[in-house]
Amino acid sequence: MFDLFLHFLSNTGYFLADYRHYIMIVVGSTFLYLGTAKKYEPLLLVPIGFGILVGNIPFFKGFGIGIYESNSVLHYLYFGVRTGVYPSIVFLGLGAMTDFSSLLAQPKLMLLGAAAQMGIYFTLLGALFLGFLPKEAASIAIIGGADGPTSIFLTAKLAPHLIGPIAIAAYSYMALIPVIQPPIMLLLTSKKERLIKMPPSRQVSKKELLIFPVVGVLLCCFLAPTALPLLGMLFLGNFLKECGVVNRLANTAQSAIIDTATIFLGFTVGCSTQADVFLTPKSIGIFFLGAVAFSIATASGVIFGKIMNLFLKEKINPLLGAAGVSAVPGSAREVHLMGLKEDPSNFLLMHGMACNSSGVIGSAVCAGILWSFFI
Amino acid sequence: MAAVGATIVFLGLVVLSFVISQIHKVLRLWEEREKYLDRFKKKAPAVAEEEFDQPIYKERRLPTVDELANTYRPLVEKLDEPFSLSQLFEIAKKIGLPHPHLSIQRLRDADILVAQGDGTFIWNNLKGNIGFDHV
Repeated sequence: MFDLFLHFLSNTGYFLADYRHYIMIVVGSTFLYLGTAKKYEPLLLVPIGFGILVGNIPFFKGFGIGIYESNSVLHYLYFGVRTGVYPSIVFLGLGAMTDFSSLLAQPKLMLLGAAAQMGIYFTLLGALFLGFLPKEAASIAIIGGADGPTSIFLTAKLAPHLIGPIAIAAYSYMALIPVIQPPIMLLLTSKKERLIKMPPSRQVSKKELLIFPVVGVLLCCFLAPTALPLLGMLFLGNFLKECGVVNRLANTAQSAIIDTATIFLGFTVGCSTQADVFLTPKSIGIFFLGAVAFSIATASGVIFGKIMNLFLKEKINPLLGAAGVSAVPGSAREVHLMGLKEDPSNFLLMHGMACNSSGVIGSAVCAGILWSFFI
Repeated sequence: MAAVGATIVFLGLVVLSFVISQIHKVLRLWEEREKYLDRFKKKAPAVAEEEFDQPIYKERRLPTVDELANTYRPLVEKLDEPFSLSQLFEIAKKIGLPHPHLSIQRLRDADILVAQGDGTFIWNNLKGNIGFDHV
């Protein structure tokens, strides 16, 4: 009887836990705190944070419980992450929610979205320099795109063993946009530049909005066919929204489908951060490089905005470059707030959204290109 | 690898931005295709029948103020008085009258369009009815 009790005790989480589990539980709790109390990206941080708690409850291995054990329920749910299914579904919903009219009204702002992708390539060099394998370096570099699903998608294809740390780093930095981006924007722009007002956007016709997803998918996916699972779904979702004849499908894509995928994506990514797999020196390197990637991406966009002003008759506000990263709508909101801080009548949100949506396209194209380099 | 990737992404998005900046122009061209086709059709026989021994200047003379009044009177009748010149300009432009800006200016100079002082205008029936009944 006593032996049975001892045997039971030896199988409990209290007995099996070591300091690493507690560290990860603190991390998970921090995510939950940031998501709920601070409202930093709650749709992502809450499922991920809870997933971290669940994934770091110690258990006796070999009984098909953990996410890395075949035939476990979590393992099946994780299938959507490993194969890139969830990111594609999230992109479908994202497309159905995105209004590209601000981008169509000012296509030149797309260049800021392109410039912000430079963070990816600088980080690629940095990761290679730090000794990561090329496929790992590419997966880490994509964090600079500030796009969680894209990061997960590419990592699932190139370096599946790094999905946990890369996803956590990507989502962490997306949640920390209000902390990371403003100092960079302030550092790189003068007050005069921050005060530049953007002209009101022209009215975009329904036909333009309808044609854009078709043109977009053809141009981008002919260039980088490997971006099809992401961009194909993104533009499909957008076409569903704009065509106006399948409102039921568009509504489902932008609500039930993306919500379901986000729950499973966030939760299983959180679960994948099992302490013994997650807490490694590589993870620290990934977090460091992720911060570098995100900062360079922000800086590249802002600097490119300043360069564009050298040639443009009608100046653009270089703050918009920071919205070129694809963290929708966090970075656009941050740019808008900074513009308002300088001049309460300077509204940059819609222009920021244009850069944001081009950043989504840009980072997905980047992911496709990086993947194709290793095929 | 990094340089190649960055260049491809940048060029790709530059091409995409250029293409989407042209979509509305292509659409406008498509929607007004009838107008352009008509213009093309009208021009084609004119070139074929062109007779070089005829003085061209006679065909290109400016219409007289009376002729302008006759042309613009029916347009004004569609508007409620007083009307703004921009309304008249829009209608004239819509139906394809040549040089609406210049024509309206001449009608103003001839006191056929009379300013009301608040940015609106009325048609002067005393001067603007010349020959109208005969058209």
